Amino acid sequence: MATEVLWWIFAAAIVAFSAGTVFSRSVLHSAIFLIGSLAGVGAMYLFLTVEFLALVQFLIYGGAVTVLILLALMLTRSDARGTPDAVNGPQLPFALLVSGGLMAVLIGVAAGTDWRPGGVPDSPTNIGIETISERLFADFGAPFVIASALLLVALVGAIILARQEEGE
Amino acid sequence: MVPLENYLVLSAIVFALGVYGVLARRNAVLVLMAIELMLNAVSLNFIAFAAYLDPGKITGAIFAVFIITVAAAEVGLALAIVIRLFRNRATSNVDEAAILKW
Amino acid sequence: MGAEQAWLLAAIPAGFFLLLSFFGRPMPRGGDYFGVISIGTSFVLFFFVLADFLDTPGKVGPIVNSIEWSNIGDFHLRMGIYIDPITITMFGVVTTVALMVNIFSIGYMKGEPRYYWFFAVLQMFAASMLMLVMADNLLLVYISWELVGVCSFLLIGFYWEKRSATEAAKKAFITTRVGDVGLLIGIILLFKATGTFNIQEIIHAAEAGEIGQAYLFIAVMAIFLGCMGKSAQVPFHVWLPDAMEGPTPVSALIHAATMVVAGVYLTARLLPVFAVADGALLVVTIVGLTTALLTGFMALAQTDIKKVLAYSTVGQLGFMFVALGAGNPSVAMFHLATHAFFKALLFLGSGSVIHATHHNQEMDKLGGLWKKMPITGTTFFVGSLALAGVIPFAGFWSKDEIFVALNEAWGGWAVLLLGLAAVMTAFYTTRLFIRTFMGKPKDEHVYEHTHESGFVMTGPLIFLGILAAVSGFVVFHGVGKAIGFPGGITEFIFLEHHGPHRYEMDWGFAAGSIGMATVGIWAAAWMYWGNSTRRSTVLAEWSPGLYDMLQKKFYFDELYQAAIDRGVLGFSYVVAWFDRYVVNDTGVDGSAQATGFAGGVLKYLQTGRVPNYAMAIALGVAGLAVAGLVVRG
Repeated sequence: MATEVLWWIFAAAIVAFSAGTVFSRSVLHSAIFLIGSLAGVGAMYLFLTVEFLALVQFLIYGGAVTVLILLALMLTRSDARGTPDAVNGPQLPFALLVSGGLMAVLIGVAAGTDWRPGGVPDSPTNIGIETISERLFADFGAPFVIASALLLVALVGAIILARQEEGE
Repeated sequence: MVPLENYLVLSAIVFALGVYGVLARRNAVLVLMAIELMLNAVSLNFIAFAAYLDPGKITGAIFAVFIITVAAAEVGLALAIVIRLFRNRATSNVDEAAILKW
Repeated sequence: MGAEQAWLLAAIPAGFFLLLSFFGRPMPRGGDYFGVISIGTSFVLFFFVLADFLDTPGKVGPIVNSIEWSNIGDFHLRMGIYIDPITITMFGVVTTVALMVNIFSIGYMKGEPRYYWFFAVLQMFAASMLMLVMADNLLLVYISWELVGVCSFLLIGFYWEKRSATEAAKKAFITTRVGDVGLLIGIILLFKATGTFNIQEIIHAAEAGEIGQAYLFIAVMAIFLGCMGKSAQVPFHVWLPDAMEGPTPVSALIHAATMVVAGVYLTARLLPVFAVADGALLVVTIVGLTTALLTGFMALAQTDIKKVLAYSTVGQLGFMFVALGAGNPSVAMFHLATHAFFKALLFLGSGSVIHATHHNQEMDKLGGLWKKMPITGTTFFVGSLALAGVIPFAGFWSKDEIFVALNEAWGGWAVLLLGLAAVMTAFYTTRLFIRTFMGKPKDEHVYEHTHESGFVMTGPLIFLGILAAVSGFVVFHGVGKAIGFPGGITEFIFLEHHGPHRYEMDWGFAAGSIGMATVGIWAAAWMYWGNSTRRSTVLAEWSPGLYDMLQKKFYFDELYQAAIDRGVLGFSYVVAWFDRYVVNDTGVDGSAQATGFAGGVLKYLQTGRVPNYAMAIALGVAGLAVAGLVVRG
């Protein structure tokens, strides 16, 4: 019972933070709301008993990615005058329509689909870290290595892109 | 106990909010944040399915790991591009980078 | 070596073809000795095959040896060899003539450019021809058929620096191609009806009446079209005289003795099928008769030695088809063999003359050469007698047999027509011989420099001369027995349901044959003996138009040229117009303009603003989601 109450609190927090992220007029506020939203999703992973991924979520999203975003915000803030036209005016109605419609369709599908013939279990099964490591290193070894190469390439690419070139 | 549908609906709401952010906001960094929201929604979906329906193979959880990896790479590159854009055009608004047209 | 291994006969020359074409150029003397070795081996192997074949119990049972070539579903394609008396006869003819021509070429082709290549293609030709005559299925026949066609093309155009040679090569190839399309269609039709390419199975199916009459007739006629093209029967005869642009040994081997008889061979091979189809044999007879008569007339007015011989070849092929039309393959094969020997002899003899007179082949400049070239003259004389059908030379016996068979099958009218052709044969042969070898030399300068050829050239002449003199005797039962055959040639080759038939001389017909030869020879001698221009121009003076028509070969070439000019070129103009205005202006340029116009309008959709693109993507995703819901219901 307590778990369910907690779950609803976190779910409401995630929705609120996410909405804050996209609706806030200040980009800085948006970034802070984003941290909250990402942390909430990490908590959801705990509810799903995937502790390892929750940890990863906190470390990478809560730590690295948000720091990166904040850093980028600092580097690109030329004017502190706020952002009066932060919203893309002419496209706003369409954006509302499309995202609203998409949400309706997705919720409809999520609620209306019989996900597994014979019923879905009431609660999630615990996913141990052993299972994850076994799957990741035994069955998905090649993608894992390729992903590491991708990260390296992205790192080098980011450095080359952002580097101050001579004469600039 | 929390049923699977709750997670799915939550994920749908977050994803739709992300879509709205991408479509409606002008600031490039904010667009990136909205994309992160969408990616998170997808990860949540994957893991929920893995935990409820596929506890033996947990392919969804593995996918989530790769999504996080790719998202990290993407955010690094994209922010580098934003910085580059800002340095060259003194703006980080996506609709002002519009020279690639007729 | 058993007769089952007869494929070696073709495989050995094919191997030497590869050797010579890749490594022949740097070899001393262009590797010409390899040519002789290669064909010589086949020639020797032929005797092993012959001995084994004759030792086979039942004497004339065919020998079959085939391997599975490919497997498509239920269809098993087997390729192999089928050796029967017809094949054996062809083996003998091809290997003998090819060997003689190879030896002769060493002398004749000396110092020519691409010397090694000449011998390489000769090997290829021998291999293809031998494969053609032992193939047990029509597919292999068709492949070999095209291979000999290619060899013929290469050798006619051997002097490709000469424009007339390349034109002649193209003409030969294209003309025979028209017939070959028919052959292919015929093979496909027969395959469709019987489900097999195997010749014997097709024959059995046809004889069992498994194929409808009309269908069978069309299929057989299509195949006969190919035979007509290859054997230069009217109206496809136009390519063979032009093919004399090739080196003379090639004319002897390919365009007189072997390749052009491929059509005769294939018709003889499929004769049981022809016999089943009503009217097919009549068509064969009529084509043969027409050819023999027309080319007889054409040969009368030719002045080029090789052209006379070429028309004579076409005419003699007509004789063979007449024999086939009479339903008698043994006589056709008999005439094929004797003709191969004496016509190869005549061509090689003319080659010897041409070689000795430094490429002079116009009768108007020759004459009196017998004194200068005794061996060539004597052997040529023997060959001429055989061609004219003088008793007891080879041509007499085979031609006589054709008359007998023709009389049995179709009666007197056909015999009379063919008799006229035989008279003309005797006439132009005598004319050719007198104007080349007898009388006084017409051009002293040419005469002065003429001398007898070396032994490498006269040797084959002598050998073939002997064959031309005596090979006709195999028709007799006793002669055949003496050299190991079951009897005379008609007891060796025969249709299955007719059975062997022992030759007996029909004195009435023999007298007729002798009479025809005498008339022709006497007429020619009366006109041309002793350089009497008064008599020799009697026709030209009496009717210049008729003479011109003969010399222009009944305007066949002009007719074809006109047909091509009017028909083909007219059609090409239409096609060219279509290409220019419909395909190019509307299709190519039109689509380019439409694309450009559309691009000019649609480019305004490209705002260059990222949010617009993102919106498009989102709309697409939403649209797909809705569509998915609708489809799922």
